[in-house]
Amino acid sequence: MKHPFLNNRLLSIYYIVFWLVIGVLNFLIQAFWYDISYHLAVIDSFVIFILYPIMGSSIWFIIQYNRLDENDWLKNILFHFVAASIMNAIWLYLSYIFIKMVEQSHVNFIWGSLPSKVLTGYLLYAGYVVFFYAVNYYNSLRDRIKREAEMKMLVRDAELNALKSQINPHFLFNSLNSISSLTMSSPEKAQEMVINLSSFMRYSLQHNREEKVALRDELDHIKLYLGIEKIRFGKKLNPVFRVSEECLNARIPNMILQPLFENAIKYGVYEATEPVDVVMSCEPAQGFFRISIENEYDPKSKKHKGEGIGLRNIRQRLALIYGNPGLLQVSDLKTRFKVELMLPQK
Amino acid sequence: MNEKLNVLLVDDEELARDLLKSYLKGHEKVQLIGECENGFEGVQKINELKPDLVFLDIQMPKITGFEMLQLLDHKPEIIFTTAYDQYALKAFEINAIDYLLKPFSKERMCAAIDKVVERRGQAQEQSQRISRLSEYADEEYLDRVVVKDRHRIHIIPIEQIRYIESMDDYVLIYTDEGRQMKQNTMKFFESHLDPHEFIRIHRSYIVRVSQIEEIQQYEKESYVVILKDKTKLKVSKSGYKNLKEALDF
Repeated sequence: MKHPFLNNRLLSIYYIVFWLVIGVLNFLIQAFWYDISYHLAVIDSFVIFILYPIMGSSIWFIIQYNRLDENDWLKNILFHFVAASIMNAIWLYLSYIFIKMVEQSHVNFIWGSLPSKVLTGYLLYAGYVVFFYAVNYYNSLRDRIKREAEMKMLVRDAELNALKSQINPHFLFNSLNSISSLTMSSPEKAQEMVINLSSFMRYSLQHNREEKVALRDELDHIKLYLGIEKIRFGKKLNPVFRVSEECLNARIPNMILQPLFENAIKYGVYEATEPVDVVMSCEPAQGFFRISIENEYDPKSKKHKGEGIGLRNIRQRLALIYGNPGLLQVSDLKTRFKVELMLPQK
Repeated sequence: MNEKLNVLLVDDEELARDLLKSYLKGHEKVQLIGECENGFEGVQKINELKPDLVFLDIQMPKITGFEMLQLLDHKPEIIFTTAYDQYALKAFEINAIDYLLKPFSKERMCAAIDKVVERRGQAQEQSQRISRLSEYADEEYLDRVVVKDRHRIHIIPIEQIRYIESMDDYVLIYTDEGRQMKQNTMKFFESHLDPHEFIRIHRSYIVRVSQIEEIQQYEKESYVVILKDKTKLKVSKSGYKNLKEALDF
């Protein structure tokens, strides 16, 4: 991991200024309060507040080799004790050389203060270690939060993509069979159906599009779908649209209507022998757009066991997009099946 | 065996029937004798026209292809035609003479017909195969049962069944509205009814758990079940064991 301030010029300057100020303060106190000679005060301040901080910034690299979560406490303490001792020895030796260079006569005086210097060295080391661990912890926490947020976004995108309607293989193969039949009886119609099916599939497969589209566009797509199904089911499928003007520009999640029509066809039209109306309506209602899709069905036909994948997927998508799975209401009125979507206008 | 096979089509989609008809036109081994657009009509026409071969779609309005097979008096050869159906595929692989996945080619269809021609005459094998086929459901557990009395087909939702009694080759299905007779085996029902809801208490009885009011001992090691409608049914030894397991007593 990067050094918290050596890699940042501004922070490095702050660091230097911080210690310089403390060093100067220390000098002033020693020189004017304790009446220690200027020479000694400068030496003492320099050694503790300049020399140690220069060395101390490297403690960062030491803790990189000794992450707290990886070892047990005894090992950590031992490790840092050894490191602190080595650091101390180097620091004291450098101090000694420095003092010797500046003023030979002070060496003896320094010897006298050795025990307090050693203690100071350990304390400074401990201070650095605690500080750097805190920085380290903060960095990794921030990193983890960022990664988690990224992960959540990725998961959400993946979920949304997975939930978008996938082409039902039953629909696809039956349509292909209709085309196969039309190529013999009516090639123009076959061609038309191939083109419609292609457009439908292209729209369905574009998962990287905008999450929300205008209802107008969704309706075009739905009409394409219904057109294909109408070739299969003929008069049995009778779609009715009651969509108010204001709704046409409503932004709705893409591909959210098609599975509902698919259900209506599967349970209503497919099981019927007579024409069945599939009625879609949309109207604004108190900050929402109310979209409903209704179909009649024969209660004796194959049961819908619980909620099918289609409805469950839509519920999950609504939960992901609007944070509310309750925007989808399903009501089974014995001979009619009604699905209602309440989509926020904003 | 120079005679042509009489063929009937059952498919709810007109275009699918058109395609088959155009494939069959001029085929020297078959003759088309009719077409039906739903399961009810299919049962009626098969029993009436007695075709040799039926092209049968699985998913149809009213009753499915599998349910149709259970209602036939006359058992023709069956070639299934379907677009995509995972349950059905399993059943075909085991028992059907052949199946065509839509869309299929004319050559593929002719190959299926050849297979039928080849296998015909092995009458015993055929009837076995077909009765096995009619014991297939397209889902693990039934949600309805179809029965036929004379000329009418009834659909009984599973919720209405109280208990089932076996009678020779038939079963009697007792519902809230009376009883219906159906040609099928107890084994079929035992394996296609949800064991959480139905228990086999005797060689001759399968009972809905929620209908049981009381279990009475009337001799040493022999029991009867009393249903809510006061019907008493015998419990066999293994049936008692099943009850004990299911009801946990």
